[in-house]
Amino acid sequence: MTKPKVGVFGMTGCAGEQIVILNCEDELMDILKLLDIKSFHTAMSKNDEKCNLDIAFVEGAVVQPHEKMLLGEIRKRSRLLIALGTCAVWGGVAAMKNEVSRQRLKDIVYGSPGRIFRSIPAEALHSFVKVDFSISGCPIEKEQFLQAVASLVHGDIPVLPKYAVCTECKINENTCLLVEKGELCLGPITVAGCNARCLSYGMPCSGCRGPVEEANIASEVEILKEKGFTLEDINNQLRTFAGPAEAIQTHLAKR
Amino acid sequence: MQKSVVVDHLCRVEGHGGINVAIEDGKVAKVEMDIFEGARFLEALVVGRSYSEVPPILSRICAICSAVHTVVSLMAVEDAFDTELSAQTKLLRELLVQGGNIESHALHLFCLAFPDFLGCSSVFALAEDYPQEVKIGLGLKKLGNTIQETVGGRAVHPVNAVLGGFGKVPTKKRLLELKEELIKGLEGALVAVDSVASLEIPNFSECPTLYAALGSSSEEYSLFGDKVVFSNGESRKVNSYREICNETVVPHSHAKHSHFKGLPFMVGALARVMLYGHKLNSEAKKAKEKLGLSLFTENILLNNSAQAIEIVYSLERSIQIIDELAQRGIKNENPVKIKPKASQGTAAAEAPRGTLYHSYTFDKEGRVTKADVITPTAQNLANLEKDFRASAERLVDEPEGSLKAKLEMVARAYDPCISCSVH
Repeated sequence: MTKPKVGVFGMTGCAGEQIVILNCEDELMDILKLLDIKSFHTAMSKNDEKCNLDIAFVEGAVVQPHEKMLLGEIRKRSRLLIALGTCAVWGGVAAMKNEVSRQRLKDIVYGSPGRIFRSIPAEALHSFVKVDFSISGCPIEKEQFLQAVASLVHGDIPVLPKYAVCTECKINENTCLLVEKGELCLGPITVAGCNARCLSYGMPCSGCRGPVEEANIASEVEILKEKGFTLEDINNQLRTFAGPAEAIQTHLAKR
Repeated sequence: MQKSVVVDHLCRVEGHGGINVAIEDGKVAKVEMDIFEGARFLEALVVGRSYSEVPPILSRICAICSAVHTVVSLMAVEDAFDTELSAQTKLLRELLVQGGNIESHALHLFCLAFPDFLGCSSVFALAEDYPQEVKIGLGLKKLGNTIQETVGGRAVHPVNAVLGGFGKVPTKKRLLELKEELIKGLEGALVAVDSVASLEIPNFSECPTLYAALGSSSEEYSLFGDKVVFSNGESRKVNSYREICNETVVPHSHAKHSHFKGLPFMVGALARVMLYGHKLNSEAKKAKEKLGLSLFTENILLNNSAQAIEIVYSLERSIQIIDELAQRGIKNENPVKIKPKASQGTAAAEAPRGTLYHSYTFDKEGRVTKADVITPTAQNLANLEKDFRASAERLVDEPEGSLKAKLEMVARAYDPCISCSVH
């Protein structure tokens, strides 16, 4: 069996997904037996920048004009393009205030000398190229990445849960932080896969994995309002990780 | 005669940056560490957000050092609101930070820097020729992650360290199991120190260097402190961090540069060992002697050796912390309640790459009106360019290829975290 040719690329973000890959300490050497890694700047010198790839794993959001071009080039040379992590899938934290002008943000952070830097509102990869498959999470869960690699080397498209964190939390028999404790928990509208990690530490879900398919945001917002949260606080939490997501944009446009 | 070294994209570092060095008529005309990583404007994005939302957002500045970003962010909020923490919380937070230090140093040393010294292009290639060393290195890296998972609930972007304490305090049983793993890991770390001792470390980048690190009156080597001490004898309180860094914007870098009284300075493992190496004990002290860092050096390539020493230190200190926690008796404490007010808070800790500052101003409801984060890699950039210049001046007659490889080595020795530097 020839090994699939693979590239691991980063747009802008915290490099969390690349770090999760490198955090597969026990599996790393086995992964190398299965994949022919052609490009992985964070881990390797002498990367092949031109060859065709079977799989491109891309993390991070697009926040600069040159990243659009780079992403386009990666797409052209790759049979499958897989978005890794919430920034790549939804835009991530950098996209939480996309309505604010970049000029204003540059002025706050750099003052006038920063005006020469080129910046565009943070967007997910699918805004610019076709994405074949997405693994969200801030960061991604190691197990989901490993399962995805196992599926891909067998020529299968990985299977990820299509239900909400709330379901995982109930299976774990946690006390409901939203209903019973009145906390700002986004578990009912956030896609599962973390085994309700934060909730098992007694912390509400912050929505870091982005919205589940057909998320009922209106109903979530109603419950939170009943619990005494202001619309401002609810909206702030909704847009923290997946601001550009259609479901969240639709809700934000309603007011 | 003109010569230039252009590294479009520096590899085996975190984030996106390049090198531009030009030599004209045998003189170094330009040295630039080009930081083209995109700005996320995180300091501007948290403005208007409530105090409790800040630490999890600003943790996202960086994946490798997310533990220390989280802890310093929590400390800055708590500083603003005069929150008193329990001794147990302080110890657990320190354990979390030590875990991050082990993970980050092991990642850099074994996966990113070692290939430079052993003529490989990556840790993947290294594993074929040096399987034992790579196994030990990955084992240490994993151990750092295990600490972060045990205390912080996740290896990257901890979820369990919260304002006022912890979501769920780890059990004594789990901590004692962790201690056994750490004791085993220490054996591996000592073997790793021997591997580092066997490397030939060149000195082409040596040049006058000002070091800075957090200090305190404690007799122990520490990643925490209330003032910043410089190797020229000056010191400043943490809340005067602006006077320490004096950040400026330069056109070739999305990360700002820092100068103290007009001079670049170096922060990180080497700075800490140079300033406080005399406080190291037991195996860490022996490692320091073995790696030749008992003497003052201005060779940045020895930052790799300093990281090896600190892996030993952080393992020993983590064992000590667990002993202390167990001795005190681990209590299931709830996080201390926060009482927001109009205020300002600043905090710092030693991140793997050096001193990290977070400073916030809040309105009376506890919403952020201003946030400022200065990361170690940003502080190091001006010093890195100084080292580029010293190296290039010494290596002016080298062929371009070899000059390029050596300048890359200098950049890598800083273990730059470029996402952090721009944020």
